[in-house]
Amino acid sequence: MPLTLVSPMNETVVKASAPPARLTSPAGKKIGLLDISKPGGSFFLDRLEQILRERYQVAEIVRAKKPTYTKNAPDAVIEQLRGLDAVVEALAD
Amino acid sequence: MPAPGQSAPPVPGLASGRPTLIVFFETDCPTCQLALPYLNKLGAGVIGISQDSEAATREFVRQMGITFTVQLDPGLKITRAYGPQSVPTIFLVGGDGVVQRSLEGFDKAGLNELAAALGHPPIAPEHDGAPAWKPGCSSRHLEPESAGPDAGSAVLLRTTAEPATRLSVPDGEDPFAFCMEHFGDALPVIPPTEERVQKMLAVCGLPPLNLGPREIVARVPPVYGEATVEKIAANAVMAGCAPEMMRVLVPLVRAACDERFNIHGVQATTHFAAPLVIVNGPVRHSLGFWSKQNVFSNVARANSTLGRALQLVLLNIGGGRPTGIDMSALGNPGKFSYCIAENEEENPWEPLHVARGLSSGQSAVTLFAGEPPHGVSEHNARRGKTVLKNICQALATVWSYRMCMMHEAVVVLCPEHVKTLHRDGFTRQQVREFLFENTGTPVRHYEHEEDRGEGMQLIPHYREIMIDGERCYQKFRAPESLHIVVSGGTAGKFSAVIGSWATGPTGSQMVTYEVE
Repeated sequence: MPLTLVSPMNETVVKASAPPARLTSPAGKKIGLLDISKPGGSFFLDRLEQILRERYQVAEIVRAKKPTYTKNAPDAVIEQLRGLDAVVEALAD
Repeated sequence: MPAPGQSAPPVPGLASGRPTLIVFFETDCPTCQLALPYLNKLGAGVIGISQDSEAATREFVRQMGITFTVQLDPGLKITRAYGPQSVPTIFLVGGDGVVQRSLEGFDKAGLNELAAALGHPPIAPEHDGAPAWKPGCSSRHLEPESAGPDAGSAVLLRTTAEPATRLSVPDGEDPFAFCMEHFGDALPVIPPTEERVQKMLAVCGLPPLNLGPREIVARVPPVYGEATVEKIAANAVMAGCAPEMMRVLVPLVRAACDERFNIHGVQATTHFAAPLVIVNGPVRHSLGFWSKQNVFSNVARANSTLGRALQLVLLNIGGGRPTGIDMSALGNPGKFSYCIAENEEENPWEPLHVARGLSSGQSAVTLFAGEPPHGVSEHNARRGKTVLKNICQALATVWSYRMCMMHEAVVVLCPEHVKTLHRDGFTRQQVREFLFENTGTPVRHYEHEEDRGEGMQLIPHYREIMIDGERCYQKFRAPESLHIVVSGGTAGKFSAVIGSWATGPTGSQMVTYEVE
């Protein structure tokens, strides 16, 4: 007779959303740059902002920063990024 | 918004002659989902006003198990009459129809005051895994664009979940091999058969837990899996816990998911951190926790299985896969099990849980996001101060030698060191203060540094002090950054320092939960 086990694994149903289509070019787009507050993240994003502005003529750059890299972004930070065409997140040191 | 002393605008079902709470809520507001189940304990004294559609409201009431009266508010007319800025907002209306006070957001102290106003005992315990305070969402009538009549979250913070799936091990297949393949970590586990899980659930159904198998104890980050009592029990079986251990494991899972502890970050960090469990109080004896020689090792079933059960919950329900979202560069052997008990019998001072606000007759679990223990040998010192100076030098290396003001440490004092300190008149607080005042990194170690290594960038925030006549940057923010625990065997003058991960409100804060 087969042995019956109680699943110990996560079975929480998650509502997934399809990712938006990739941009073909950043030109003319609104781009968010999210700093997660790790040391060095701003150097990377400063340079990226310069490149996006000079080489790709983006329409707008929005700089946002998480209060701490240890936690999820609070709603206020998400709101700053809402409605943009793309967001680049600087993850590491 | 009607101020205290003003008449309450009409609400269907609002009766005169007795105080009533009127709570405005949205079905997709996480703070409303957190707060409203607490009000169930107040019975007929509550009227809910939903700002969403009938369908969304009905689903909310079902999933959240709401038992008090809920009214719909088509056109948000009642909402506009009361004008709350955010939801949830609770108005206390006296028996004379006059507003006495209002409470915005989720606020445990405020909820308990409202309960008292209705003649009820407190409804929001301090240590139930929920934060003390959480702001709400903007009231629907103030939103620039109405979310529409069908607004409502697909994933509510419901209080119960479906039963766990039953899995069949095919005839002829070794159940241990089956479990190794499908769940658990890299060690064998005990198969969570229905019979074994049932024994765990039997304990949960009795006081003091009084929990049914489908009740959700916590949502475990980083994937926020619903930890039902049944799923926690299945993991406890796999870890080898005795059924009585559910009395400790359930509050421990709540503690781990306390927002202050930030298990989301602890599970995902590239650092070494793992949750260290420290057990205090009478439960040490009643359930067989070990606090003496080899306390960090492999002595007692209670320590080993409780620590392991927590790790399995974090892995299997929380999704902290060590080859995936748990990104620790080097890891920590404590991720198999990391649980000690305090040796209160060899502690002449107050034990950890008493220092953290509980009484000595209570039992407790305390969690600290820590590195593995770093040993401090001091066998020659005859004076307590010399013992502490040695520990200071180990403490100076927490996180890294030149990083100051950012981290904390647990200092596990062995009984022999404690004897010397106690004989020299040190109290627990004096030990903390001495370690705080004498731990630092000499300023000369920050000079002539071309590469500006770790710790250099925060120098403007450092505090300069003199230690033994030398200019140093003070290592810790405050004496409270050091957590003193007495543990281990009575032979051997070895204490230990356990460094923290990121600390404070932007990192992980130590949490202590009572075990009833």
